[in-house]
Amino acid sequence: MTKFILDRRALLAGAAALPFLRSHSARASTPGNMVFGLSSYPPTIEPWANGGTASATVKLMIHRGLTSFAADGSAQGELAESWTREGDRIWVFKLRAAKFHNGDPVTAEDVKWSFEQIGDPASTAYFRAEMQRIDKIETPDARTVRIVTKEPLVTLPLWLASFHMPVISPKSTKALAIGAGPFVITGQERGVSIDLARFDDYYKPGLPKLKTLRAVAYADENLRVAALHSGDVDLIEYVPWQAMDEIAADPALKLDTTDGPFMYLVFNGSKPPFNDARVRRAVAHAIKREDLVKGAFFGRGSGLAHLPIPESSPFYNPEFKNGWNYDPALAKRLLAEAGFGSGLSVTLLSTAQYGMHKDTAEIVQQHLAEIGMTVTLSLPDWATRVALGNRGQYDFSVMGNTADNNDPDGLASAIDGSLPPAYVRSFNLPTPKITELLQLGRVTFDEAKRKAIYHEMEKVAIEEAPFVGLTWRSQGYAMRKGVTGFTNLPGALTFFTGETFETTATS
Amino acid sequence: MAGYALRRLAVALLLVWLVTSLVFLVIHLIPGDPAELLLAQGGVSADPAMVAALHAKLGLDQPLWVQYRDYLAGLAHGDFGSSMVDDHPVSEEIALRLPRTLELVGVAGFIAVLLGLPSGAMAALTAGRWPDQALSTAAGLALSVPVFVVGTLVVLVLAQELHLVPAGGYVPLARDPGRHLLLLLMPAGTIAVGLTATLFRVSRSAVLEILPREHVRAAQARGLAPRTIIFRHVLRNALMPVITVLALHLGGLLGGTVLVEYVFNYPGLSGTLVDAVSARDYPEVMAIVLVISVLVVLLNLVIDLCYGLIDPRLRYG
Repeated sequence: MTKFILDRRALLAGAAALPFLRSHSARASTPGNMVFGLSSYPPTIEPWANGGTASATVKLMIHRGLTSFAADGSAQGELAESWTREGDRIWVFKLRAAKFHNGDPVTAEDVKWSFEQIGDPASTAYFRAEMQRIDKIETPDARTVRIVTKEPLVTLPLWLASFHMPVISPKSTKALAIGAGPFVITGQERGVSIDLARFDDYYKPGLPKLKTLRAVAYADENLRVAALHSGDVDLIEYVPWQAMDEIAADPALKLDTTDGPFMYLVFNGSKPPFNDARVRRAVAHAIKREDLVKGAFFGRGSGLAHLPIPESSPFYNPEFKNGWNYDPALAKRLLAEAGFGSGLSVTLLSTAQYGMHKDTAEIVQQHLAEIGMTVTLSLPDWATRVALGNRGQYDFSVMGNTADNNDPDGLASAIDGSLPPAYVRSFNLPTPKITELLQLGRVTFDEAKRKAIYHEMEKVAIEEAPFVGLTWRSQGYAMRKGVTGFTNLPGALTFFTGETFETTATS
Repeated sequence: MAGYALRRLAVALLLVWLVTSLVFLVIHLIPGDPAELLLAQGGVSADPAMVAALHAKLGLDQPLWVQYRDYLAGLAHGDFGSSMVDDHPVSEEIALRLPRTLELVGVAGFIAVLLGLPSGAMAALTAGRWPDQALSTAAGLALSVPVFVVGTLVVLVLAQELHLVPAGGYVPLARDPGRHLLLLLMPAGTIAVGLTATLFRVSRSAVLEILPREHVRAAQARGLAPRTIIFRHVLRNALMPVITVLALHLGGLLGGTVLVEYVFNYPGLSGTLVDAVSARDYPEVMAIVLVISVLVVLLNLVIDLCYGLIDPRLRYG
């Protein structure tokens, strides 16, 4: 009888044979070609719709608008070579010679058409309301766009830098938007991957540097990291916080992080107890933010005890750094003043679908227990959590977000109580003073005056606490050492980092 | 036999209808609104007017019974509808992904039969002695380790540390057969770990139950070779419970490979189903559940009919 013996030699021979199973077709690290590990497959890459951050990154590969963001947060020219302002309400953009992917030149008429589509009453564009503040768009010649606004709009060049504001060809169809960006889509499998190739007629000489770019969705964060380690991908987004130390220590890899997105609390203002600013402030002063950074983000982030205006911003107000400092005694006093000296019970809405939302809620719960608040956690899936938030079916809730840009006006969606109900901001909690100051900031061109306006706004926000900041969280990209030219943009601009694919190279 | 088959078929159809109707009701009753989710990507707020417009476009403003009627009418025409997220035809998505899941489940089942059946028989034949004890311990261990732990370990050791294999993914067979097989074997092997242990246990107890039976002893008394007794008289009789258990598990796996698909980034049907539920993409959820339930019911129908063939008493039951 033959006996099958699995001895050490057979095992080693088998293991040695395994590498030959490796195929090189989808391996990363061929110079000029790159494989990018996305955190999720974009649900949509419609040019003007908000399809989340993965979608934004892909859109930045294919499209360009009139402007984009420079690393300091200011607007820089893209399809527009330069722009000037005539009075308070007229902006004049001069276009450069650029081509769409179908070979047509980008003309002033195309810009006008794009912006009018966005502002159309039936459009589902993210910037629809903003574009409706435009009175008319004139095209004196093929290279000049004159935008006349209904009221002064200081932030217009910043809006136009958004990944939701690309200029596309009027020949685009619903299925295929023809852009003027550095890469062209050559193939895609829904839910799996998107293949792109260099657009040879891109308007920046010598760019993009990559010949091909393949974006592959890895929804599992651990697998995303493993794919980078194993060499399947050259670059990954959304580096999980727990993996950051290990990646930073790996000599074959590099990590690029910025504190951009932030976590915060929003409140239901239509019923007690959170219709009382004293209770909201009590919550704000009861939370030890270092514990949140440690517990929910593995130390990768920092406390946020004021409005999310980053220190690097010219609008940062150092005197509010500890606006909502950790002070349980003050928190208890505020609760007593509001008539809850003997304690109260509330429900905190968050989601079990995302670890950072759940962990943040649990730590907030512990800290509030110390000031006599009994907090019950409600942790449904994300879809349910969004629906409950939009309908105001909660007491208070954990939220994570980024500003639209690095200007304080970019915070409007999180703090302006006059906007329609939405889970990203407090429910039924009017903030007339803040609304007024945001509006004033939009029509004031003088930078010193704007600084004073947003200083006042932050002061009011800290007193009324319609929004309670918790933490900045670190947002990171990780890549092989051989990847160059890809740079994480700072602060709220981190999700615009896709802009730098045009300068990215692999070796 | 024809009457028996017809009855089973009627019950099967009823089951499919019940399952899909129940899922239709449940997915519409739980909170979460596809239009709101669609317009609120990336943490932005959805304009109520835009939500209402999208509701009208997707037909979500109709009463539930109208939506149900339209859904059944669509089905009757063989129309699964389109995804609410990107208008992609659901039938195309299923046609693309179902074969992958079937392949994954099929290969896992094949590995499990190949390893579980002989080892179970061997354990029964050596009951109480060391091969049995070793195999039973291994099976106990395999059963108690969750599938995502096995999967994560495979990725961690083979891909991340040893760089021997890619960290998951999928390549069509036509493009690169070697890589296709490699990427298939990792998740299939992971699923097979638990399934092999289950089959091991079932075949071990089936063989143990058959060994002392009279026909086996009669065969021994007739002086038949031990090999003949085991293959012809023991294993053949032990096969039925093994097939039943295997079929039930494979049916469960059709919609239940999501963890493995997630860990290995394998673009099968289960992952799509979970994504569709998260996005409250009703047409996609309904279609996938319908296809899976039809397959499970078919699988059971085949087993039922097999019983009927083997055991005439069941035909009149």
